Amino acid sequence: MTQLPTPGATPAAPPPSEPLPTAAPPRPRWRETLGLLARNPTAAVSAVVLVLIVLMAVFDETLAPDGPNDQDPSLQLQPPSWDHPFGTDEFGRDILSRVVLGAATSLRVGFLSVAFALVVGTLIGLLAGFYGRWVDDTLMRLMDVLFAFPAVLLAIAIVAIRGAGPANAILAIGIVYVPIFARVTRASVLGVREEVYVRASRSVGASDWRLITRHVLPNAAPPIIVQTSISLAFAVLAEAALSFLGLGPRRPNPSWGLMLADGRGFIDQAWWYTVFPGLAIVVTVLCFNLLGDGLRDVLDPRQRTLMAGGGR
Amino acid sequence: MRTNRLLPLAAAAALVLPACGGGESVDTGGGGGGGGDNTLIAAVSAEPDQFDPHVTNAYASFQVLENVYDTLVVPSAEDLTMQPSLAESWTTSPDQLTWTFTLRDGVTFHDGSEFDSADVVYSYRRIIDEDLSNAYRFATVADVQAPDPRTVVITVTRPTPNLLELIGSFKGMAIVSENAAEEFDLQSEANGTGPFQLESSDANGTVLTAYEDYWGGAPTIDGVEFRYITEASSALTALRNGEVQWTDNVPPQNVADLEGDEEVELGSVTSVEYFYMSMNYQVPPFDNRDVRRAIATAIDRDEVTQAARFGAAQTNQTAIPEGSPYYLDYAPFTPDQDAARRLIEQAGVQTPLTMGLMVTDEYPETVAAAQVIASQLEPIGIDVEIQEEDFATWLDRQSQGDFDAFMLSWIGNIDPADFYENQHLSTGGSNYQKYSNPQVDDLLTRAATEVDPTARKDLYDQAARIIVDDVSYLYLYNPDEVQAWVPGLTGYQVRADAAINFETVELP
Repeated sequence: MTQLPTPGATPAAPPPSEPLPTAAPPRPRWRETLGLLARNPTAAVSAVVLVLIVLMAVFDETLAPDGPNDQDPSLQLQPPSWDHPFGTDEFGRDILSRVVLGAATSLRVGFLSVAFALVVGTLIGLLAGFYGRWVDDTLMRLMDVLFAFPAVLLAIAIVAIRGAGPANAILAIGIVYVPIFARVTRASVLGVREEVYVRASRSVGASDWRLITRHVLPNAAPPIIVQTSISLAFAVLAEAALSFLGLGPRRPNPSWGLMLADGRGFIDQAWWYTVFPGLAIVVTVLCFNLLGDGLRDVLDPRQRTLMAGGGR
Repeated sequence: MRTNRLLPLAAAAALVLPACGGGESVDTGGGGGGGGDNTLIAAVSAEPDQFDPHVTNAYASFQVLENVYDTLVVPSAEDLTMQPSLAESWTTSPDQLTWTFTLRDGVTFHDGSEFDSADVVYSYRRIIDEDLSNAYRFATVADVQAPDPRTVVITVTRPTPNLLELIGSFKGMAIVSENAAEEFDLQSEANGTGPFQLESSDANGTVLTAYEDYWGGAPTIDGVEFRYITEASSALTALRNGEVQWTDNVPPQNVADLEGDEEVELGSVTSVEYFYMSMNYQVPPFDNRDVRRAIATAIDRDEVTQAARFGAAQTNQTAIPEGSPYYLDYAPFTPDQDAARRLIEQAGVQTPLTMGLMVTDEYPETVAAAQVIASQLEPIGIDVEIQEEDFATWLDRQSQGDFDAFMLSWIGNIDPADFYENQHLSTGGSNYQKYSNPQVDDLLTRAATEVDPTARKDLYDQAARIIVDDVSYLYLYNPDEVQAWVPGLTGYQVRADAAINFETVELP
């Protein structure tokens, strides 16, 4: 039981691979973190479930009993049965298969958009926090402008301008989360920047690049890792919202949000049409959130107050 | 509402008449307050944009106006053939260029003024002179004259056998009182000759009251209240609860459930609307007849209607629905994917090829049908990319010719000219696919002026066969018009043209 989540934490929180291996005392702390995480049952279970969802997304075509668009008009809106555990939709398509295949869509958009936000946002936050003064002012005021728009509204606006489709959904959601990562990183960097070991390193003539990569980033990383997990939850949710509104993948590609939108018209006759894709969204989002909470407790309890302002 | 001095007297006289006819309506109007138990509450999905019959294009407006205005002639509820209404009878000159209408006597407008030929001339001149949206229906009309108060003479530049359909098939050709546009604010008021008067309208609904002096006899109900309920499930719940007594907001997937429901009565008829797919003759390989015929052969219409309409439709390989006098029994395509694949090979086209299929969520059944079509064309090597657009973009792309293929429907009304001319003449205003076949042009042009009904139908049949064979349109199905009401409501009939008329309705 305690060993199980260990491999699982790797795919669930891939971004740490960037800052962590370069961290000053990498291995002991890495191990310790995972050990602590395994002892937090909620986070551990969430991590296991997420691993299963990721595996489902990776091996979707092998796992799905039917193709996503295999239609059979004689099986229109069938309730759950042994042949079709999640029932069928109005085209007689197997909803279980479409939920499985929809995982890849949701997670791809989720991971790629958060990766975009993580790289760009962290970079901006690092520069703003480390250099301060006019760099800080310029970058952070820009971030404030982006931050002023409600997240989903901003994403819809971006997709509306650039046109619907998965690539634009990734970009839209990514842009929306850039300011959050910038803020979290900057706040964390500000706390680390004036630490004795940083000043000591600078006094012996270390370059800015060395300071940032060797000292500042590794020590500012924990809140960023937590933010990554929480943002993944919101990104999956945002993807579902955009798809629901018809701004994500095009029909007939399977997508959880699109299935919710289509199933809505049949809610009187076919509860399974909306319930199962809805459950998939709920479980994924909940697990990312719970894992994020667990990581926060494990990584650095003192960071809690900082985080409170960052999540949305 | 306009008041008039004659009304109380007339209403008193009218009270006697229905009392002789049927026992149930003896108490009609006795309460005096109106809007009581004897008012029909109807749930419709959309709010009228305005009430000017000559200006509006909205079906939601015509749902109301159908009960307020009359036309010279009117389609029968049974088979949509033209029947007398404000015109009692008509004759045509031997050269077919002069139509003489004799108007009904004793018809009054809701404001009490008498109806005569000057009202007809005013109404038609208003449509023609102001070039309103239905002016095209008078394309062949040279003049409209009123030699005496009971006679209207319409002269046409060439024989127009479908003139009755042109002036009567819907209330967009309504007769308003002379100078109505000056005396009334027709956007929000009405002064018609129909069985109900427009009482009031706001964001919650539209209220009609019975017109006691109606020339066809006063309605048995006191009035109609239209309520706007967009969500179909809410409309059905309201019907079950007795909050409303009638609705046309019945989605096809609910029909099967409602058929066994004792709290609801269903009426359904194959409508004159038709859904079709159209391919762009300017975009290779869809300019290739064999490719289009391969696609037509690969599509199984039964599967399309099952998914898009839950079977509440009649598949059709031509436009005009079965039951119409102009129906043509012609179905050359049998779903066969092997034959389709051979046709594609024969065409010498490289597969897999991609076809963008433009649909719009404004008409959700096109989105559903497109997904079925996509799965049926995949095995023959055609990769369908479903392009879902908002309706404004959709229309724009259609008129720019910026599409491989699209799906939508037309409401064909009654006359075959309405089904074919605009869409398939080389010069047709709605020929977005750029179909051009001299033979079809010739047949349609001859049919338009052919006065012998049998010969005329024969010409349209010939044209339709070629249109189907060439796949100018790939016709799919005629949807059912489905409406629901409370048990015990009588005197109502679902019509193929989806016009909603409550004149003879009696409440339980």
